[in-house]
Amino acid sequence: MFDQRGQIRIIEAFLAIAVIFSVLLISVTFPSSPNLERQKSLANLGTQALIKLDTNGTLGNLIMQENWTTIKQALDILLPTGVSFNLTVYDENMQPINSQTIQNSNLLGREAVSVQYICATQNLNVQFFVLRLQLAWTR
Amino acid sequence: MIILTLSAMAGTSKLMAPYLDDLSHRDDAERFQQLASHLLLNAGTPASWGQMQATVLSNLGLAKADSSLPYELDIDKVSRLNSENIYSLTYSELWEALGVKDVAFQIEVKTLFELSISLISNSTQGNQTVYEFEVATEKSGMPLSTDLSGYVVVESFVDKVTTATASNGVGSLTVNVPNSVNGTVLMLVFARAQVNPQMVSFNTYTFGHNSPTPLPNRTFTRLSPLNHVLNVSLAYSTIEILKPQVFTFNYNFSLTEKADGVQTVEYFIPQLLDSSPMITVLTGHNGSTSFAEWVSYPQLSLQIGVDFSESIAGSKIVSLSHIVTINFALYEVVTKWGGLS
Repeated sequence: MFDQRGQIRIIEAFLAIAVIFSVLLISVTFPSSPNLERQKSLANLGTQALIKLDTNGTLGNLIMQENWTTIKQALDILLPTGVSFNLTVYDENMQPINSQTIQNSNLLGREAVSVQYICATQNLNVQFFVLRLQLAWTR
Repeated sequence: MIILTLSAMAGTSKLMAPYLDDLSHRDDAERFQQLASHLLLNAGTPASWGQMQATVLSNLGLAKADSSLPYELDIDKVSRLNSENIYSLTYSELWEALGVKDVAFQIEVKTLFELSISLISNSTQGNQTVYEFEVATEKSGMPLSTDLSGYVVVESFVDKVTTATASNGVGSLTVNVPNSVNGTVLMLVFARAQVNPQMVSFNTYTFGHNSPTPLPNRTFTRLSPLNHVLNVSLAYSTIEILKPQVFTFNYNFSLTEKADGVQTVEYFIPQLLDSSPMITVLTGHNGSTSFAEWVSYPQLSLQIGVDFSESIAGSKIVSLSHIVTINFALYEVVTKWGGLS
């Protein structure tokens, strides 16, 4: 009677060890969830790039001129290699106004972060624009 | 029952593990981000420590005092991070001034894109030699269209040429150097991105014109710009300076002397509004050897701090990139942060 109980305890102990090892194995093997700190630094980077591009009203002027290619090329230089981006420019009524896509590569399937920036033209007839920049690490 | 329990535990563990891992390091990442912002958004104490070479730095901050622009750095504070500057601060002084005892860091300041120069050909035509250079501008392998401004400096001779790189990022510069002069020639090239005039890079190329291959930069002089004064420490008492000059993308000027000492000379550097790094060049002789030595202001590129490349695997290191303004031009600052065990 006592011997049989002892055997069950041993089997239980082995099972418990197996459970713990299985859980560890699964946790290590499968990919993890979004890396929050990398996403946060990416958002900071995007905001800074837009702020720097907006110095002296440059960004507002480029939007007024509908010079989407120049905006894309400037972001190419300002953002580090390995960052994909997609910029959408909205007017005051939140209607997208960029007639061509402002992006360096496709963001589909990537964990993207989005930053929003409001810019204004620096002339007598002030116009406001809302820019939504989506960013993702390519690696 | 066992399979059910196993599945439930595995699922819960899989869902929770990364978040638990992130939570354990969340404070670190947040803290490092805050430290980087503090470093780049605060002027430090005293606020004008960049210009005050004799002052003890009590609080580290690289921002320009009284700047209305976020992430605008002080040209002198950045220059004092460069160990080649005689007024530079050591890492331990910077670490003490940061005041966070359990954190190690590294600061790197560089231009937003790279510029390379290579000499393609040279030929003698009459009383001058024609040198052709290939200039390439790129950002991490991606070619950039830029406007180029090149200066050729030898002894007292200076010439300027301008051109642009094509869509493949490559351009050609041709300079004529008279054969009446000989010695070390410094080819100095600035590149300005066509999409934004604040994005500027630079590089130099040195070669001998009717003379042997020149010695490396800083062989004859140690050039230290600070507070718009260029301090020149001469390596030999026999050195004769021919022409001190400053160059930017658009302009070049001769420097006026401020003071003359024992194997040291000081020159005023003008405050130029050109959105470009300034490059000061000194030409001269030491006996029969000619030289053309240079330094950029802000003194770049620089890297100071802990080398994290040999850190223990698994230790927490956070690398943060920021775009900053120095003297109207844009640069990239990469800070790396890690805990001290």
